Amino acid sequence: MSSKRFARRPAKRPTDTVPIHLYGLRRGTVTVLTLICAAFALFILAPVAWLMINATKTQANVYSTNGFWFARPFHLLQNLSALGHNVSGAGVYLHWLGNTLLYAASAAIGATILSAMAGYGFARFGFRGANALFYLVMSTLLVPITSVALPLFLVYAKVGLVNSVWGMILPSMVSPVGIYLMRTYIDSSVPRDLIDAARMDGASEIRIFLRIVLPLTVPGLVTVLLLTVVAVWNNYFLPLIIFSRSQLYPLTVGLSSLSHAAETGSKAELVPVLIAGGLVTILPLILLFLFLEKYFRGGALQGSTTG
Amino acid sequence: MVQKTTPHAPPPRAPGVTPADGTGPPRAAAARRPARRRARSRQWPGAVFISPHMLALALFMLVPTGYAVYDSMQTTRLVGGTHYSGFANYSTVLHSAEFWDGVRRVLVFTGVQVPVTIALGFFFAALFDAGVVKYARFFRTVFFMPFAVPGVVAAVMWSFLLLPGFGPYAKLMHTLGFGHVDFFSSKLILPTIIVIVIWEWTGYNVTILYTSLKSIPQHVTEAAVMDGARLGTIVMRLKLPMVRPTIVMLCFLNTVGALQLFTEPSILAAFQPQAVSYGFTPTLYVYNTAVGSGDYNLGAAAAVVLALIIGALSLGAFAIRKRAGEFR
Repeated sequence: MSSKRFARRPAKRPTDTVPIHLYGLRRGTVTVLTLICAAFALFILAPVAWLMINATKTQANVYSTNGFWFARPFHLLQNLSALGHNVSGAGVYLHWLGNTLLYAASAAIGATILSAMAGYGFARFGFRGANALFYLVMSTLLVPITSVALPLFLVYAKVGLVNSVWGMILPSMVSPVGIYLMRTYIDSSVPRDLIDAARMDGASEIRIFLRIVLPLTVPGLVTVLLLTVVAVWNNYFLPLIIFSRSQLYPLTVGLSSLSHAAETGSKAELVPVLIAGGLVTILPLILLFLFLEKYFRGGALQGSTTG
Repeated sequence: MVQKTTPHAPPPRAPGVTPADGTGPPRAAAARRPARRRARSRQWPGAVFISPHMLALALFMLVPTGYAVYDSMQTTRLVGGTHYSGFANYSTVLHSAEFWDGVRRVLVFTGVQVPVTIALGFFFAALFDAGVVKYARFFRTVFFMPFAVPGVVAAVMWSFLLLPGFGPYAKLMHTLGFGHVDFFSSKLILPTIIVIVIWEWTGYNVTILYTSLKSIPQHVTEAAVMDGARLGTIVMRLKLPMVRPTIVMLCFLNTVGALQLFTEPSILAAFQPQAVSYGFTPTLYVYNTAVGSGDYNLGAAAAVVLALIIGALSLGAFAIRKRAGEFR
């Protein structure tokens, strides 16, 4: 009976997994495993649910009411509008949001361009020393960010890049993962013959890169772009070290200064602002994920798995 | 390919099958040589393509690293200015109990957090891959979500959730009969941070391992099923060995990340200053020494020592990996 079902399987092809009844699981196993997943999902979702609920509360209610349920008065709009003011003396949240957008967008575009060029160089040219340089690039994956951020600050102090947006953007363009992804992607999706044919037709190297290589690697480019946006959006240590002026803070450093202000007691009324700010910090990226899910599922992380 | 352009092109060969020198037909070998030389002369644009990145790498990683080494060998005094002091700063760091406490703490943290995160990641990835869970798509999306949450926000959220007395989790523990649990006490602060970091990174590991498991050809699983293998056997004996390179790579990335632990403890310190000491982790030591106390030379020395420790661990792991024949 089961072999008959097995023979029928190709008919419902869209499924790409082995039909589960073939595993000979005991009854109820699927239910138990689903419940385990649900429990973990609860563990994952609880803090985010807490953030959403408590962004609607007043400071007193954050502490005195059930953390997982709403309480009156509904204070969401007041908390959000406070993000536009310098209520804390720490700085203005909207300013930090703008900074983060600027840093993330420019670093991501830069990293994508540099990674595409370098990935192409490594994937399709066997110049002398290419392998050694590629290992150098890959070994920077293992260099602790914290060990580079402080030295960067020391160098910046010498050349006047402290409190400069370039000090944040330019280092974020160095992306070993991006190069690895682009190299792998170009290897598998840009035929050598096509490049050779274009050369025979007299196309310049730049033209080949712009007109043939880039269009063929769009999914890879989007992946590098997204990963860099996330990395810069969430970066904390580098901006913490190189910025001392709060007008330059990205969200992460801004929120941490807000949390310091809120928690030292004197500005306890900032707690709801801090929570609302946290919510506004994560919502754009979560929305980005939901919209671009297939990139994160299919390609975004795949390249890093084959290493 | 290039052969096509030569007048005496060899017969078409399956791609990737290149006869070793001398063993191939002589005509083919003769035709290949000039083609290869011409190919080499075309390689220089490759160097041009990688140069912008290499320039950025040099300016923003290599130069600062070199400067840190230089700076770590200087000592700045209020009176007398900066002068060369050799390894004095290193000696200070290496003799600092605070620094080694941090190193020990972060090693314990890594030793627990990384295996747990990867084991959980593999467990859920295998469930989703085998299709033995309902609503798997929903769960995968939910588990991955913390990747979008910056460590700063994660730490803020968890700080409120875990607040002694007020926080819902402390209340829950009280209801369950555990009494007054202080998640920020010196005993529990490390487990607390481990839970937070597991919360942040499990989904990422699930996603990578799931992608890797999905790339195993389906007929492999089918054959095992037809042979009567149970699900647990298939996952542990068949699939786990096939995704071992991915797991090794995840061990690397998770470990390098864990050894740099900074954001979570430094944010928790804002909520419970007594919970997190000056040198709670080596990175906090570096930050507090350099930025907090303004001793950049000593901070640079600590940063170099930290980089060397992480580099040594990575090299050691690479060596093991190479011997295991998994290094590409």
